[in-house]
Parts: sequence; C-alpha cells; structure tokens
Amino acid sequence: MLPKRFDQARPFATLGAVLLAWILVPLAVKSFARVSFFELQAPFIAAAAYVRDLQEFWALRLHPKDELIKAGHEIAGVIAQYEFSQQELESLRAENVRLQNLLNLPPQPAFRYERARVARRDLSGWWQRLIIRKGANYGLVVGSPVVFAGGVVGRVSEVYGYTAVVDLITSPTFRLAASVEGDARPICYQGGLNDSFKAPRGTVEYVPTDIYASPTSPRLLLTSGLGGVFPTGLRIGRIVRLETSTDGLFQSGEVRVDERLVSLTEVTVLVPLETEDL
Amino acid sequence: MDRRLPLLFLTNLLLAWLAGQVNHSLAPMAVHLYLGGLFVAFAALRLDLKNGGLCTVLTALACDSTTAAPFGTSLVLFGLAHATVLAVRQGFPRDEPVFATVVTLILNLFLFLACSFVLVGLNPRPADAWLRLFVDLIASQLVLAFITPWFFALQARVFELARLDPETGRPAS
Repeated sequence: MLPKRFDQARPFATLGAVLLAWILVPLAVKSFARVSFFELQAPFIAAAAYVRDLQEFWALRLHPKDELIKAGHEIAGVIAQYEFSQQELESLRAENVRLQNLLNLPPQPAFRYERARVARRDLSGWWQRLIIRKGANYGLVVGSPVVFAGGVVGRVSEVYGYTAVVDLITSPTFRLAASVEGDARPICYQGGLNDSFKAPRGTVEYVPTDIYASPTSPRLLLTSGLGGVFPTGLRIGRIVRLETSTDGLFQSGEVRVDERLVSLTEVTVLVPLETEDL
Repeated sequence: MDRRLPLLFLTNLLLAWLAGQVNHSLAPMAVHLYLGGLFVAFAALRLDLKNGGLCTVLTALACDSTTAAPFGTSLVLFGLAHATVLAVRQGFPRDEPVFATVVTLILNLFLFLACSFVLVGLNPRPADAWLRLFVDLIASQLVLAFITPWFFALQARVFELARLDPETGRPAS
C-alpha cells in the first residue's frame, strides 16, 4: 500500500505525465486531434442553425397574407432600384477596366461570392468569431475576406469539411491595413474594444495628425487594399475619436463598427479566384 | 476504462452544445457565459483518477477545438483543476448538491481568471478588456449557481439509467 502523502500527490504526478506527453506529441497529431474534435461537434452546431432557420420559416408562415403582399411590393421596389444600380455598376466597372488598361496597372484581385448562413456566434471578451455553414465543400480557403451589407465582417481563419470559422473585425487578434475615406495613406486597424451591453468598437493607430474625427463628425474607415487580402474600399466602420499618441508623430483612436455585426445571420465570403478561373 | 467515460463525455458535449447555443443568443448583448468549471466538477468529485482524468482530457480537447485559444490551453487548466479536486476531495460530502455547486463555482472562477490572464494580453487595451471580462464572470457564476444542481442530477440520472455506480463503475443494485 502506498503512503497517504504519495496517494495525494498521485493526481499531480499523473497530470505532469500527461502534460509531458502532450508537449512531446508532434504538431501534426495535435492538428489532427483539433480537426477531429471540431468535426465531431460540427454536425450538432450546424443542426441547431438549421432548426433556427426552420423556426424562422414557421414564424414567417404565421404572418397574414396582407403583410406578405405589402412586403412583396416593397421588395419589388428595392429590386428595381438595385437593378438600376447594377447597370450603373457595370458601366463603371467597364470604365475602370479601360482606364486600368490605359495606365498599364496590375489587375485587381478577383473573387467569387459565396453566401453562407451563420451557424454560431461566439463573441467573448477573449475572442470574437463566427462559425458558418460552408467550408471546404464550397472551396472556402483560409484568409478569405468575409463581408456583409454593412462592410467587412472578418476573415476566414479555419476551414473544415462543411463549416468554417470567421475571425471578426472586432476580435482582439484582428489587424488590418485601412485608410480614411478620401485619403490614401495607410493606417492600422485592430479590433478588441468589446464592452458589455454596448456595440463593439475597434482601434486605429498611426493616423496622420492632419486627420480629424469626433463623435459629431466621424470619418469613414475603409480597407486600403494593402496586404492583398481585402479589396480596396470596403467599409470597416467610422472613426469617432482621435488623440495624439505619446510620441506626437501620429494619432490613435476608436472606431465604431456596424452594430449589425453582432447579430449577423448571413455573410458573404469572397473566395479568391485563381488565374485559370478568370 | 469502462462505460462511465463515454457517458460522462457525452453529457459534457451536450453541455458544451447548450452553452454554445446560449452564447449565440447572448451575442447581441455582448455577454458571454463560461462554464468550464462544470465540465470538470463531476468527474473530479465522483470518478476515479483514470476514468475521470480521461474524461477531463477529452472534454478539454473538445472545448479547445471550438475556441480561438491555443490548442491545449483547456487541457492544462482543466487538468490542474481536476488534479487539485482529486487530491483534496477525501472527507468532503462529494455527492451533496450544495458542496458540488460550491466546488464548481470555485473551479470556474479559477479557470476563467487563468484563461483571462493567458488571453487578455492580445487585447489592444487590456484594462478595458478586464471590465468586460468581469461582467462575463459575474454572469457565468450566477448561471452556474443555478444550473450546477441540474447538471449533476442529469449526470447521476444517466448513470442510473445505465445501471452503473459512478464511483466504482460496477453495476448498481
């Protein structure tokens, strides 16, 4: 029989052995384990999202026909407006290509748009991410930009069989090269200001001192296109506060991002196209 | 290893799934619940080192796979919490719901703070981040105080249905 003191220390000795074994396990095995454990839970995460969609469907079915007809008329008006905008966009795109060819500019990155439903929102003080219901089965790749009607959502950080994880722009680990509307100079955006019961915010750094912003006259923050991941001109948020940093050379401040970001149900992934796909 | 391991692991997966659904709904309010203590408590209080320890390891890896924390963070923290409870549990009323709730709350507090110290450095303004984490911690502890007796009863009932004694693994009379 072992002495009582050793009996009490046995759990810690076992823990030490387990942790030592964990350190010695090759990285490939750890990656495989991570993917396996995620895939084990993925069907249940996706199933809950399908059930939510079904609930929404049946809730909508309860609406009276008059309401649906009225909504249909409104949507018809919006579609007509979008069709006109689409025509304008096509002519602007053609003009843009013509000017690029004239100036011999390198081609802009091209994307395929993949719509995906949000299966789970996981927005904590430590990280901010979404799990979406499309993955490698739709050709999603790690690093793909994710957008919605209000601008940038984030970037695909993990891709699994039929789900993918999106790191949100409000996540503390999310950094992006941005620029203020009407100014081409690059500045650094980072997420991470996520107070309870408030809309999420981000931070900007290295803002030139001649740029002004305040809550009453916010400045629009757009993607700069630098880094090659995000296309130029996508909306990130609005800079609402700027103050001179300690070195006096630049300013840093706060960015208010779209409030809808925390309640998204659908996003669009911009899947980069290979040259042969163009 | 016996049937207790898959039974307990499945109930932990169910809890993780439920917590994920609640957090999905709470996301617009910018509140997040962390229930790490509850994953460890039953296995550490009622099971032996081998089965309980394996269950904690599997649960920790399952939790880690769906979070942005480095893979293995929960393994270290859950393992430490499990070992500590296992070392001191003798002489305590381990099957009492009130005692289980207190242990769960203490474990959750330790795990939440440890996770926060590991991850808060990534934030551009750590001092602001602590305010958010403090609110999340209070919300998590309040929810835990309510659901721990239910979850312990659920796990005990699962063993009852499987006609197993959770402590010995032998068929229950």
